[in-house]
Amino acid sequence: MVNDRGQIYTMEGVAAGLIMLLTAYIVISTTSIYTPGDTHIPDMQLEQLGSDVLAMMDTPDTNGGESRLIELVRGGTGTGDALRDEFLAGCKMRSGGPDDDLRAQVYLSYRTSGGSVKMIPLSSTDPEFTGRENTVRVTRWVQLQTRPTTGMPGDMALRPQAVLVEVLLWRA
Amino acid sequence: MRPESEDGVMSLDFLAGFTIFMLALIMVVSMVPGLLAGLESSGIDYDAVAYRTGVILVEDPGWPVYPPWEMNDASHKGEIQRIGLAVSKETPNVLLSTKVDKLFEAGFFAPEDYRNKAIFGDIPYSYNFSLNISQAGGNYELKQTGSPLPPGYGYIRRVVKIKEPGVANVGYSNSYTAADPLSPARTFTIRLDFNQLLDPKRGPAYRIDPRTEPVTVKIDLDNYLVSPHAEATLQNVTFWKMDPTRPNPRFTRIPFSYNDMDSNLYTLTLNSGPSNLVPAQPVRGSIALELQPAATSQFTLDQNSILDIRFAFQEAAEDEPQHTSINGTYLYDYGNVDLPPLKIGVLEVAIW
Repeated sequence: MVNDRGQIYTMEGVAAGLIMLLTAYIVISTTSIYTPGDTHIPDMQLEQLGSDVLAMMDTPDTNGGESRLIELVRGGTGTGDALRDEFLAGCKMRSGGPDDDLRAQVYLSYRTSGGSVKMIPLSSTDPEFTGRENTVRVTRWVQLQTRPTTGMPGDMALRPQAVLVEVLLWRA
Repeated sequence: MRPESEDGVMSLDFLAGFTIFMLALIMVVSMVPGLLAGLESSGIDYDAVAYRTGVILVEDPGWPVYPPWEMNDASHKGEIQRIGLAVSKETPNVLLSTKVDKLFEAGFFAPEDYRNKAIFGDIPYSYNFSLNISQAGGNYELKQTGSPLPPGYGYIRRVVKIKEPGVANVGYSNSYTAADPLSPARTFTIRLDFNQLLDPKRGPAYRIDPRTEPVTVKIDLDNYLVSPHAEATLQNVTFWKMDPTRPNPRFTRIPFSYNDMDSNLYTLTLNSGPSNLVPAQPVRGSIALELQPAATSQFTLDQNSILDIRFAFQEAAEDEPQHTSINGTYLYDYGNVDLPPLKIGVLEVAIW
């Protein structure tokens, strides 16, 4: 008679364990969990939108005309808020209601007469801006023929130069 | 004698059963991922397809380019390879209004056409395209095609500018009046010099290109009537072309179906009613001619050609003095044609 020594009593246990592991694996692998790594999609959409708006602001409406972006950059800090508001108005356009929870801030990088590069805020700071927002950054080069008389820092080089307009764009 | 120990003995039934069970388990496990593939989340994929479709629509002029795809009528729809709305490859985000109108024309494209010529997916995606164009006075004109939006979909929004065709408004000028009231006939010519119009120095977004956009001429004839009570007789409108690069260049009349009214080719409006190009009827008020690119493409013109549109006025009786003084050549060029400024708009693509 065969006695029960050496038999694997826990066969059911092993099988059940395997089945449980397999179930857990299948459930986890078929559920998509939104992780910070996936935020590149909304970021890409926002970045595309922002760069489109800057590009269109930099496109004159008539041949030989001056683009709205250059006009607003030449006003410096005096027209910085107008630049931000027009940029946001372009971003908020939709076929339904406007996409109202977008915020932006505009910065300008320029070369000083000493030759170094400096950055100044062109628009006033958003009151709710903490610095921890998930922002995207869109930029556009603007050619200035001479230093604007108002709204620009005094150490800006007088010669013609390209300045960099940077816009931080985020969803509040 | 000690009985034989049975320690370490495993039954054969158990071994066979366990082996079969393990084989079955391995087979099932290897099949499971395939069984569940259809349930995997693919929202990210929709976003990618929407992005790609948006790029095709706003950064590409479509194919064919010359003659442009939007010129094809319903019977030649198969010749359209790709739907793109940009004025040219060099001007992304600047859309041509004639292409936009064709894309959203009700009943022209079937859902299958949008899938094959703009979305290019292996899956029969559902879609919704909308374009909101900013008009003067803060209003918006909305163009839309596709199905209503479900709760979840892939999405992209592109900000664009829209280029609209120019219009030549011929007002009163001494340059276009004939001094001799008894002149046998009046010929008023609208001249399009392609070499000048298609000057590469001018950006495509600000160019007058009769090969892709309609040519519109509006003549205010009341200003040119000799007597305000006597209407002038417009005998015909004819098209002539000249190639200055040829030896002995001269204008030749272009063979065309002048007697057939076809709004796909041209629209001539006289006394606020449509007419063919051989009206031979008295007119007053405004004469409006809109020549479509579909007609211009039949004229076999190149970038050096000169196209004349001649309006011939002559009264029926031979000895009767002419009732209009309009005469001469009006240049359809950047100085005379009112090119409307670009309009801003937003194109949205949703795919699911």
